[in-house]
Amino acid sequence: MKNKLTRNLAIFYCQNVPGSQDDVRQSLEEKYGKAVRLFPMPCSGRIDVVHLLRALEEYADAVYVITCPPGACRYHEGNKRIVKRVDTAKKIIESIGLEKDRIKLITPPIELALKPLTSFVEEIEEEAAAIEPSAMHKKKAQGAGNKVQGKKEKK
Amino acid sequence: MTVVSNLKKVLEEGKFAVTAECGPPKGADPEAVIKKAELLKGKVDAVNVTDNQTAIVRMSSMAACSLIKSIGLEPVLQMVVRDRNRIALQSDILGASALGIHNVLCLSGDHQKFGNQPQAVGVFDLDSIQLVKTVKDMRDEGKIIGGDALSKAPEMFIGAAANPFADPLAFRVVRLAKKVAAGANFIQTQCIYNLDRFEKWMEMVRDKGLIEKCYILGGVTPLKSPGMAKYMKNNVAGMDVPDELIQRMQGVSKDKWKEEGIKICVETVERLKSIKGISGVHIMAIEWEEAVGEIAEKSGLLPRPLV
Amino acid sequence: MITAEQKPIDEIRKMIAPYKKVLAVGCGSCVAECAAGGEKETGALASALRMACKIAGEDKTIDEKTLDRQCVREFVIQLDDVIKDYDAILSLGCGAGVQAVAEMYNEVIVIPALNTEFLGETREQGLWVENCLGCGDCMLYFFGGICPLSRCSKQLLNGPCGGSQGGKCEINPDVPCAWQNIIDRLSSQNALERLEMIYPPKDWSKKHGSGPRKIVREDQQK
Repeated sequence: MKNKLTRNLAIFYCQNVPGSQDDVRQSLEEKYGKAVRLFPMPCSGRIDVVHLLRALEEYADAVYVITCPPGACRYHEGNKRIVKRVDTAKKIIESIGLEKDRIKLITPPIELALKPLTSFVEEIEEEAAAIEPSAMHKKKAQGAGNKVQGKKEKK
Repeated sequence: MTVVSNLKKVLEEGKFAVTAECGPPKGADPEAVIKKAELLKGKVDAVNVTDNQTAIVRMSSMAACSLIKSIGLEPVLQMVVRDRNRIALQSDILGASALGIHNVLCLSGDHQKFGNQPQAVGVFDLDSIQLVKTVKDMRDEGKIIGGDALSKAPEMFIGAAANPFADPLAFRVVRLAKKVAAGANFIQTQCIYNLDRFEKWMEMVRDKGLIEKCYILGGVTPLKSPGMAKYMKNNVAGMDVPDELIQRMQGVSKDKWKEEGIKICVETVERLKSIKGISGVHIMAIEWEEAVGEIAEKSGLLPRPLV
Repeated sequence: MITAEQKPIDEIRKMIAPYKKVLAVGCGSCVAECAAGGEKETGALASALRMACKIAGEDKTIDEKTLDRQCVREFVIQLDDVIKDYDAILSLGCGAGVQAVAEMYNEVIVIPALNTEFLGETREQGLWVENCLGCGDCMLYFFGGICPLSRCSKQLLNGPCGGSQGGKCEINPDVPCAWQNIIDRLSSQNALERLEMIYPPKDWSKKHGSGPRKIVREDQQK
């Protein structure tokens, strides 16, 4: 499948999400190249606010966090804890002028407990097209045009 | 101690005492105090003047006491420990005595958070029991905290408050005993609506041997409306308002509310008269000073004895 | 431990506005324990500030470093090598840490990122409560290990007041009445008679008596 992505994304996911083994990750990395950085975690509860912020600061137009369904967290509370941390991170970025929707939490309902990682990533790819390039990385995004400071572009 | 307090004399002579409350204005007008106080002349033995009640800035209790004294009423200086340290409190006791104010009610005071100066520091250098003891030592030994001698001891009839309905219930009587041991001569209670519960508390008080050591005045507040009764029941800490009283208030038409409230109050006073160890009643008619006279009269407590 | 919370980011941005090169310095002790100024929080704050600058078009350098403790010279001295590169230090230490750093490098502007709050304990994960006010004359024995000065809203030594209701303080239904707790604790230890005595006025001179306090121990000095 051709890579449709024109945005840079960070995707954090719990290693207990089905079909998220190393070989899957590698093939996703081949497909998307630098546009998507994937972060397997032993539990979504191990993700801290600083991880989400750094991703947005350094390259990402949007950050996704994929957790296990409610009640299915192997460590009981990890996928609850991450909800509050995502909220904190959203409040922080909103307070500095970045849209809070650039951080998205995906918690599948229990009926979709078997949904594999690739399926999530395909949906993310579809959705990401509609995201405006982040003010942090506007120079890199296509069609940024006149807003670049300094020399005028010659057509 | 020479007798200078009318309230003390009334109590010592075994007459059922009547006190009431007067809140100073949120301003500097002396007339505001005098007008309220005039409504109480001849109806009471002494008038409590509140001290920045609910932590709202009002004319000082001492000043208002002095004003009501000037029209011939006997004041009870209410003194909270929230706003002043021990230097100021002891100084005010000397000042009060010098101005002819010889009754003091020692209180903790409502927390500053409730009032209009929530950013103020709450002093609480002494607590109310330590204040009672301090005043007693000033009066009886002519000494301040630390032992320095006074050039002239103040003359004070010392009071403290008691709440028979607050938690923790079992400890309330122990705390009352501490106040009496510290030197409290008289006690005014929080307003009473649940007489059965109050009588149980009085039983514990008698068992502890406290009625021989201090005079207890039962507090009463006439209800103005069913809304007021409900508010006090649900929103005021340490208040027990039985449902039947709320029903009584709800059972009469709006133009009869005040009449019913006074009726309930008079019934309460009558019952208080019959309780062993109750030496008087403290009528707190909030912003309704006219009711005091009516309650005193209907309870057969007028005219007040001239001592 | 000493507890603190981060200042609102707008307030921090205003304070660092005049400075081009800022070093955010975290502390690995108390403020890490209460998740206000540890390495993670310092990283998050520095990242947020860098993003804020970029979005607003401000040209600023904001770096980060976390010390084990900011209130002990031996640790603060680790900044010696790097301090010359910065115009200002944004300290995520408690008030004691901020001042220790300011004391060491008094040509450098030191800005507090936190509001220091109280001496307390981690009651449970994510919950810190005040329990000591450093009176200098500990009376915890008499009150069953519950301090009436720090935990009673009116600092009563002969409590409770008339506002104790259902074991809660009149000022807030979330605040336990310390005196209810003291009575319960002493009752369970069969020591309730300890409350029958009248505790005299507190000697506040041990806290306020001579200005800012200090402790000198010659047996600990070099």
